[in-house]
Amino acid sequence: MSRASNLSDTDLRAEVRAWLAANWTQDKAQAIKQSQAVWGASDALKAWLGEVVEARWAAPRWPEQWFGRGLSNDQGKIVEREFAAAGAPGTGQCRTNMWANTLLARGQPALQEKLIGPLLRNEVNMCLLYSEPGAGSDLAGIRTRADRDGDHYVVNGQKVWTSGAAIADYGMLIARTDWDVPKHLGISFFFCPMKQDGIEVRPLRQVTNESHFNEVFITDAVVPAENLLGDLNTGWKVLQTALAYERSIMGEGARGARSGAQESKTEEVLIQLAREAGVLDDSVLRQDIAQAIAYKKLNALNTARAKADMAQGTSSSVMSLGKLAMSRILHEEARVRTAILGADSLLEGGDYPRAEDANFLTLNAYFTSIGGGTDQIQRNIIGERVLGLPKEPEVDKTIAFRDVRTNVQPT
Amino acid sequence: MNTLSHEERTALRDSVQRLLRDASDEQAVRATMETDSGYDPGLWQQLADMGVVGLIIDEAFGGSGVGPLELEAVMEEVGAALLCSPLLGSGVLSAGLLQALGDDEANTRLLPGIASGERIAAAVLTGDGGCWTQAGVSVIAVAVDDGWQLQGDGSFVLHGQNADVLLVAANVEGELGVFEVAADADGVSNTSLPTFDHTLRLAKVGFSAAPARRLQATQPVWQAVREALDLTLVALAGEQAGAAQHCLNFTVEYAKTRIQFGRAIGSFQAIKHMAADLLLETESAVSAARHAAARLAAGGDQVDEAVSLAAFACADAFVTTTATSIQMHGGIAFTWEHLAHLYLRRARADAQLFGNSDQHRERYLSAMGV
Repeated sequence: MSRASNLSDTDLRAEVRAWLAANWTQDKAQAIKQSQAVWGASDALKAWLGEVVEARWAAPRWPEQWFGRGLSNDQGKIVEREFAAAGAPGTGQCRTNMWANTLLARGQPALQEKLIGPLLRNEVNMCLLYSEPGAGSDLAGIRTRADRDGDHYVVNGQKVWTSGAAIADYGMLIARTDWDVPKHLGISFFFCPMKQDGIEVRPLRQVTNESHFNEVFITDAVVPAENLLGDLNTGWKVLQTALAYERSIMGEGARGARSGAQESKTEEVLIQLAREAGVLDDSVLRQDIAQAIAYKKLNALNTARAKADMAQGTSSSVMSLGKLAMSRILHEEARVRTAILGADSLLEGGDYPRAEDANFLTLNAYFTSIGGGTDQIQRNIIGERVLGLPKEPEVDKTIAFRDVRTNVQPT
Repeated sequence: MNTLSHEERTALRDSVQRLLRDASDEQAVRATMETDSGYDPGLWQQLADMGVVGLIIDEAFGGSGVGPLELEAVMEEVGAALLCSPLLGSGVLSAGLLQALGDDEANTRLLPGIASGERIAAAVLTGDGGCWTQAGVSVIAVAVDDGWQLQGDGSFVLHGQNADVLLVAANVEGELGVFEVAADADGVSNTSLPTFDHTLRLAKVGFSAAPARRLQATQPVWQAVREALDLTLVALAGEQAGAAQHCLNFTVEYAKTRIQFGRAIGSFQAIKHMAADLLLETESAVSAARHAAARLAAGGDQVDEAVSLAAFACADAFVTTTATSIQMHGGIAFTWEHLAHLYLRRARADAQLFGNSDQHRERYLSAMGV
């Protein structure tokens, strides 16, 4: 039952506004702003989220049982808009909280009871235990195993590209639970407790010389049976649910320069750099600069058109092109930055911020062209799902996973 | 200028698509491109009757009176069908030039015939260099007792050999003027240029003391020419985007049905990835063309940037798509009988018609103030 079903939009808007006016004070906004943590949520933010959950604004489209109000999608948007207008965080989690959504959609009652509230209040930290050294593009080829032992599962294996693993309380884990069926059919999905002896987290040093990700070594880690999401061996389907939420909230993912050197907000940065380097009259560079700016502009136009199409009710193939377009933009921008710098790009360090940026961006462009599905996988998806081209024959699709050819010795 | 609603514009576009699906199918295109005139008078009349030829001509002068958005939408269909016609040269560039000049007497006299398709106009704006700048104007006008005479050559004149009336940019005592010349007047020579794109007609037009009438201008003449060229570039961008999309569509269909090694070739990543990359090209071209049309319709200071972006993005996308299409087809598309090369020829022509992509990129950067 939805207690707000008879509430008019006007009344709802007034109610949110009044609540925000009474509760979202300058002090709280200031405290949250000043206490931002690198990983996880600050105490000030958690305190505020507690109030939002208490007042049933955190997930307004969800039923009352799960801290919601049973609002329609459109009424949910009204709440989100009011929070956004006030600059207050915490609402719309029925749309954006991947962890809580996945748990609510597929979890067992006991785990839902235990974690939905804390997840909405950001009291538990989460990470993703999906990729493995031997399962990147071929994610269904995971070899981390979970074996039932009484009232729990015992997990062994290795995960990689895990951000936030060091502080995580739980990881959303996919592990193999049946080796005698084809690869997609023997995977299960768990909330794996991270604070235990069987979990070892090691920072991974990236090509950019930074460490944003970890490797996670899992040795006889224990996962309670109630932490299984969906039925045993249906983990691939649960994963699709989780990935759908992840995609729907995925931001651009692309980072700008990191040196902190001054970059113009109003002028295209490539133009600024070329002017600074005194090469703005170089006709070859001018062509490169114009083309690099154009790639960016065209992607923005594509996105705008996709949104307009969706508003008109027609589906758009343009949206799926964004990631591929972004890869090209980032690699090309970095290439042109390097061309503008010339020999200066040989250098690095704080005294050479322009070189630092060009070199960093050159390497970090792979974050987008490899991470979250390589450009090549993306082209497969576009070719198959948008253009309707047939799939490549899959030699491992119908045989028992145990018999699939691999780089790893059989276990 | 009227702007149609989204639904009305879609309806207009659909009706053009329906007409061209049969009247400008591959067989029709191949037949028409072998004729001397290079267009089908019957189809031309049908397009005129639908209001397509006079699409951007004011209603006061017998046209449909709509703007760049509608023009761009129609041109996507024109491009997809590889229509052979004087539409771009007469109904867009020449009509656009007349309206940009704003000589009421001339417009009253010329535009209704252009809109109805009875009169074909051609604009003579550049010489042998084909550079489409004011410095490239190579004809000279001389005052005589009862008017003006033109001297010199213009080139790359769209459907110049089919024209009834020529609109000629000419230098006159240190300034620029546009002159109206009857195509059959004394002192006018008209030579068809052999075009690599057989669906295109270009002419070289010579003037030797040819009698001309000077058109009045309500704005600086080169500004009026630029305005007409921008409108034409937007139309061309639409043609390129529509044609590129169509070319990708038939290429993908082929990749789904052509079997090698016991599989449809489209199942090979080598082919699939080419197709995915082309989709990014063609969708970006459509976005750029429509954006330029919207900016041109709105006016203002972002026209230069949007039009030049569309000019090179759509030209390059069309060339890339058609060139890659031949490779994806394999041997079948290396034959004259296959239609892919017709699109490649059109793409290569369109990429040079009013300046090349390097020039448009340079203009794009200039429009950003550098």
